[in-house]
Amino acid sequence: MRLTIVNPMLKVVVLLCGVLFLVTGLRWLLAPAGVAPEFGLTLGSGVGLSSQIGDMSAFFLTLGVCILMGLTSQRTVWYYPPIILLSLTAVGRVLAWLLHDAALAVNLIAPEVIVALVLLIASRRLATQG
Amino acid sequence: MKRFTLCCVLLSIALRSVPASAAAERSLADSSEANAASTKPPPNIVLILADDLGFSDIAPYGSEISTPSLSALAAAGVSFTNYHTAANCAPARAMLLTGVDAHLAGVPNIPEMLAPEQQRYPHYRGVLGHNVVTVATLLEGAGYHTYMAGKWHLGSTPELLPSRRGFERTVALADSGADNWEQRPYIPLYDNANWYADGEPYQLPEDFYSSRFLVDKTIEFIDSQGEDQRPFFAYLPFQAVHIPVQAPQAFIDPYMGKYDEGWDAIRDARRRRAEALGVIPPDVAMVGMPTTGNWQALDADQQRYEAKRMAVYAGMVEAMDHHIGRLIAYLKNQDLFDNTIFIFTSDNGAEASGPADPDDFITSRQMSALGYNNDYETLGLKGSYNTISPSFASAAVSPLAYYKFYAGEGGMRVPLIVAGSALPRQGVLSDAFSFVTDITPTVLAFAGVKPPDGRYGGRPVESIIGRDLSPVLSGSAEGVYSPEDAVGYELAGNSALFQGDYKIVVNRKPLGDGIWRLFNIKKDPGETRDLAQEEPARLQQMLSAYERYQRENKVLDMPAGYGHIKQLLINTLHQQWRTPLLVGLVTLLILLPFLVAYRMRRKP
Repeated sequence: MRLTIVNPMLKVVVLLCGVLFLVTGLRWLLAPAGVAPEFGLTLGSGVGLSSQIGDMSAFFLTLGVCILMGLTSQRTVWYYPPIILLSLTAVGRVLAWLLHDAALAVNLIAPEVIVALVLLIASRRLATQG
Repeated sequence: MKRFTLCCVLLSIALRSVPASAAAERSLADSSEANAASTKPPPNIVLILADDLGFSDIAPYGSEISTPSLSALAAAGVSFTNYHTAANCAPARAMLLTGVDAHLAGVPNIPEMLAPEQQRYPHYRGVLGHNVVTVATLLEGAGYHTYMAGKWHLGSTPELLPSRRGFERTVALADSGADNWEQRPYIPLYDNANWYADGEPYQLPEDFYSSRFLVDKTIEFIDSQGEDQRPFFAYLPFQAVHIPVQAPQAFIDPYMGKYDEGWDAIRDARRRRAEALGVIPPDVAMVGMPTTGNWQALDADQQRYEAKRMAVYAGMVEAMDHHIGRLIAYLKNQDLFDNTIFIFTSDNGAEASGPADPDDFITSRQMSALGYNNDYETLGLKGSYNTISPSFASAAVSPLAYYKFYAGEGGMRVPLIVAGSALPRQGVLSDAFSFVTDITPTVLAFAGVKPPDGRYGGRPVESIIGRDLSPVLSGSAEGVYSPEDAVGYELAGNSALFQGDYKIVVNRKPLGDGIWRLFNIKKDPGETRDLAQEEPARLQQMLSAYERYQRENKVLDMPAGYGHIKQLLINTLHQQWRTPLLVGLVTLLILLPFLVAYRMRRKP
């Protein structure tokens, strides 16, 4: 009984993550001033602003699209880009702290690691094809 | 008309000459006084600093702990009951020794608790900047011998050690604290307990106990002067009663059973004694801190254990007092006592960071990781790591609110005794507002040394902001701050501004709520009645003064999500695990493409 509800619950969690990332990506495109402080960023101007909006929206939209594609296509391969992106982001944050005296952003690293692990589990349990 | 004009001019000159003549008379009087004073040899000065000692932890301030030496000093001078210091260690020491605000002196917080984004600023490194001059440097320049034995915590690199900051002979602990029985660190942030003697790494003797050793070294330094007639300045910053709370068994024994009634009873008894002594006004109200536990809810074993934790604390205070007594006895034997001024105070209020449950999982892991135990039988002895919990810390600061790290009175108001046979007033209490930055100008006034006026040794230096307390000591003035003078303070977002009898204060999480409050701390030192709603104009005026203080002292806003304990843990992790973490993560990144290629080959 327990096992039968794990997969539907996992699907809901993965769906929520995908939607959340899509919304964050869209916020970066449409209302960057509201979302930037959540990442400890101050919006720049000129090329800086262009890079902030372009890179951050691409990052989150890629995460969201890949997760939703993985969920609908049931193919493992769609889960790999978000897993790699989130893991490398967490590693990058720790290296920024170790090498460049950035703050150790535990409140951002922890969700990144947890979601990457959830996606790894989803890639094993929810996908039926490689 | 011409005659009228001439009369006006003459009258004007005459009127102007009256104050000029008076000023000249005053100047002559000052100069004759100075000449008279110059025939007296300058006094020796002993500056004694306890560590984390609460407001009512010594007998003259209402404690049940026996401190006869400090009681004798209180009877031989002025005890300040409205003296304030910083709410934690290094900033207090920076202000104490320079008379300059901690932010401008480079020590807005202890380096162990500074966030990396703060440390980018030169004045936020947590070490004493070279833009300030210590009182020791100034006294040494005036011909004093200058000695230091104890905790420094203002920088551990060679150019920052006390031997390079004006002290002629030193034995100094560079860290925030250390074991009292042997040379070992007390938190994992440090690999060793970093002691230095005259600027060189130092190995503590086998029979070390901190308070005894530091007084022995002070006596040794003074003794080494021989027949030299030059005066001395001895700075004696004890480790007592910083964690780990440790004391010799003989000092613990008299307090066994004294704390069986619990923390609320002690907090109340101290308030009553402080009232009877005149240290606080009658009927002072007290808040109940949310961190204070319910004594009645503890079982008999837990009560027995908690009572012993506090008994060790009391023993540590009494041991410090005993060794201060040895120093006084030595000075009397050497005929130096009568020409010595003693200043006794604490760096901040009592520390409340000990666990409420000493057997909880995290505490047990910490104990074993550090190689300590906290067993009942050996509590406070060598190899034992003792603390007092926030509950007994509230008794240590009775009747005040909050503790160390917070801008409440319990974190900032501590005892200050200025004593000496030569002082005009003996056994007097003063409720004049005074601040830690006042100590340096007061010491300089005793020594007849002029404070630096913007420059020293050919370089620009920060000017002293503190006030000379001599008028209060002599009784010629009730206080040295006017009702309009404002004194600001900030530590990691916990902030206060003192003005006249009033104080505005904000304390951040976890104990505070981030809301500015207004108190009349003369009538209500317990900070129980917030006057912000009743006196909004005063609150606004004091908030404006605080903003001015922030600007003038380059106070930075706190990083989002900052917490002092969290930052300490992160900094410890950075210090202890940086290299292994770095090697692990970089290896992972290098191996990742190979791992992916390997898996792709296995699953074509």
